[in-house]
Amino acid sequence: MHTAQVVEELNALFPHMHKEEQEAHPLGNGGAVALFPQTEDEIRNVVTYAREKKKKLAIIGGGTKRGFGGLVERTDLLLSLANYRGIVEHAVADMVITVKAGTNFQQLQDYLAEYRQKIALDPFLPLSATIGGVIAANDSGPKRLGYGAARDSVIGLRLIYPDGTVIRTGGKVVKNVAGYDMNKLFIGSMGTLGILSEVTVKLRPLPKYESLVLLAFPTGDTDTIRSFAVQFLDSMMEPVCLELLNPSLAEQLTGKRVYTLVIGFEDVKSAVHYQEAFVQRMQPPHTTMTILPPQEAQKFWQTFYEISPNGAMPPTDRAVEAAVKIGVVNLDVISVLRESELLQAFNVDIRAHGGLGHGLCRVYIKGAAESVVSSIEQLQAIAKQRKGYAVVTHLPLSFRQTIDVWGGKPSYFFLLEGIKAKIDPQRMFNDQRFVGGI
Amino acid sequence: MRKKALYTNDPHIQALAQIVGEEAILYRKEDLIAYDCDGFTVHRHLPKAVVFPKHTAEVAAVVKYCHEHDLPFLARGAGTGLSGGAIPLNGEVVISLVRMKRLISVDLENRRAVVEPGFVNLKLTNSVANRGYYYAPDPSSQYCCTIGGNVAENAGGAHCLKYGVTTNHILGLEVVLPNGEMIEIGENGILDPPGYDLLGLLTGSEGTLGIVTKITVRILKSPEAKQTVLAYFDRVNDASQTVSDIISAGIVPAALEMMDQTAIEAVEAAAFPVGHPNDIEALLLIEVDGISAGIDEQIEEILHICRTRNVREVKVAQDEQERAKWWANRKTGFGAMGAISPDYLVQDGVIPRSKLPEVLQQIQQISEKYGLRIANIFHAGDGNLHPLVLFDSEKPGETEKALAAGSECLQACAAVGGSITGEHGVGIEKKEEMRFIFTDEEITAQTNIRDVFNRKNLLNAGKLFPTPGRCVEVKRA
Repeated sequence: MHTAQVVEELNALFPHMHKEEQEAHPLGNGGAVALFPQTEDEIRNVVTYAREKKKKLAIIGGGTKRGFGGLVERTDLLLSLANYRGIVEHAVADMVITVKAGTNFQQLQDYLAEYRQKIALDPFLPLSATIGGVIAANDSGPKRLGYGAARDSVIGLRLIYPDGTVIRTGGKVVKNVAGYDMNKLFIGSMGTLGILSEVTVKLRPLPKYESLVLLAFPTGDTDTIRSFAVQFLDSMMEPVCLELLNPSLAEQLTGKRVYTLVIGFEDVKSAVHYQEAFVQRMQPPHTTMTILPPQEAQKFWQTFYEISPNGAMPPTDRAVEAAVKIGVVNLDVISVLRESELLQAFNVDIRAHGGLGHGLCRVYIKGAAESVVSSIEQLQAIAKQRKGYAVVTHLPLSFRQTIDVWGGKPSYFFLLEGIKAKIDPQRMFNDQRFVGGI
Repeated sequence: MRKKALYTNDPHIQALAQIVGEEAILYRKEDLIAYDCDGFTVHRHLPKAVVFPKHTAEVAAVVKYCHEHDLPFLARGAGTGLSGGAIPLNGEVVISLVRMKRLISVDLENRRAVVEPGFVNLKLTNSVANRGYYYAPDPSSQYCCTIGGNVAENAGGAHCLKYGVTTNHILGLEVVLPNGEMIEIGENGILDPPGYDLLGLLTGSEGTLGIVTKITVRILKSPEAKQTVLAYFDRVNDASQTVSDIISAGIVPAALEMMDQTAIEAVEAAAFPVGHPNDIEALLLIEVDGISAGIDEQIEEILHICRTRNVREVKVAQDEQERAKWWANRKTGFGAMGAISPDYLVQDGVIPRSKLPEVLQQIQQISEKYGLRIANIFHAGDGNLHPLVLFDSEKPGETEKALAAGSECLQACAAVGGSITGEHGVGIEKKEEMRFIFTDEEITAQTNIRDVFNRKNLLNAGKLFPTPGRCVEVKRA
């Protein structure tokens, strides 16, 4: 069927729904026609239409992660949740909020800040990302050390299954073991199992005070960094992040091209100052320490969360951009960052950071196409050597089709396949977006 | 377990004995009686046999044998579960994991430890306490329950208000699938392994998706400081309101527990009395932990809130000894019911915190309706209620009445947008009550997942989900 015909059909079925015909996109994961439903019923109707007409759906929120996974340039329909947004229920005293999946992440945090509350997640690109996208891609940032990830915050979901039924998982209470913990199944599932309609998360109070300690290691001696980290982690301090920046990222964020540890404290004021003083006392020789007070700390974070390539922005130059998430045992982050420095030999720009308390690193690569691909392969080898994994979270489609961005299949892949086949046997939702072509 | 020759012609028993050794299998009725129930004693059923494997390979071999011969089977830890998850309803072969109780490794620098499923919860904390570390999930039975069982039930505890339940602390699992195949998820405890979050799905699956044989857990550094407050209230509503006010003030207590008058009567009559007054309607046990420099400020704020809510008396524990005394009194609260009632049944509903006064009142009405006393000891901070229905099973019909009263409490929780279980699991006990909160489609969505793992449904069948087709019957009841 030609696109024009599809549009005609859609116009007849959904006269009031916004639609756009789509051009090819360098990041793929598009559809011939984009649909912008505004209600859950409209989403269900689109799903029903797609099922009956044997059409496939790509699902998109803010589009920031358009370069994350996926082997298809344009499928039949692109279902955008960008116009499906807003707060369904905010139980202020219970510190629980339910929102529609297309709600902008930063707007949500800004709204909650008026109540001195927040969602305890620090995903990248919060200005453009939606809560649904953050959950579907399981995005998390440096503060995962202090606050955990989506799997620790999400307490309930409302989804639309490929057969059109609405399925609720979890609930609206902060503790719940009734039935399987189905929330977990959909967090990080890249939209391959169901369309997120509503997300219920538990909230945390905004910290009464915060600061950032930047500890710069000009000698570049990673052993010193390691022994400081080990000693600091063995103390009773409670950093919300302990993130190591590689020299080039540190230069972008702090002006100094040296390995820098970013140590965040969020607590009552006296506890924050007490911890700053603690770091000062154990500060290794030949390092410099800078304390960013609340406003400067917040400014730092605003810049930080925008360093990741944004799938919703057109590329600014001809260089290829890639982002890689690497998971290793916590302290191996230091080795991963050190070894990724060597990739500069490929003549690429490497910016990297990783959490010494959670083991997740992000490496951003920019350069000529061939060099970027070689760097990714090298990173996958580095991760494998440390028994970890490297997943490419941003890369143009043409390169995704040549390398496995998921770094292979896990040994229990048959279970993942089995789950997909049970829920979405027609492979209607985000076909080939996930591990092993799921 | 005693060494003995096999006196049976049952080929299955003989085959299983071949796998685990003759000294590691029980099959005679008198030996099996101890395994006919767990902490939920209302239903009982004898298993076919109980085997005690020593390592993963033996578990896998037993499971494979059962799978091939269509023998129902299930895994069991310490048997402290409160919802009947380890009861061999179908005459299962019970795979007891108590002999797999090694602490395999501890890696303090990377804050993780690897244990076998039979390792006792509290022993883990005890093993790392000298270095200032601990394992956070602390169910009241932690001195004897196993971490394998904790994973199966996604166990909680008093301190999960701040630190989360078991699922928030599991980094990796080695699992024997229901066909005997072994898989490893989250190898080396590395976060976010690519693929659907099977760790999250398996944790809390009540032993229906696989048998966990090795567990990588997160361990935490103990907080620098800890302060515990005990507050007595003349009126239960003031206590409830205090809970809400503390949370709204932006304080995240490590624990926030409540007991009502009946519960206080019981704990004071039992083994660890504190000397609580007998004429108050409720008490709160509040613990704050963290950086020492910030603790006093938070305690002051809590004391202030208590006072504005008409507290009769409020005090801060003066030393570790006093703190431990208060906690022993609280943690043995369920058992303490034995001091004032021959039997009790504990429920585990969860409600939004703000509904506390309303639901406590309804529980009171349910108590009056059935003519049974109901004590409340619970995790008020996260809205996790534990109504303890007191009854006498010797009196004809009273067990049924207690069960009905318990179920009605759950209905009250579900009606305000809550859940039927916060930490004890569904098991046998609450499987029909699943319909209070899930539609048929939502239950099918879950059993579909079970079918992916447990296709023959030989592993722990008849648990967790309501009996198909009984829907109408239940709704009419």
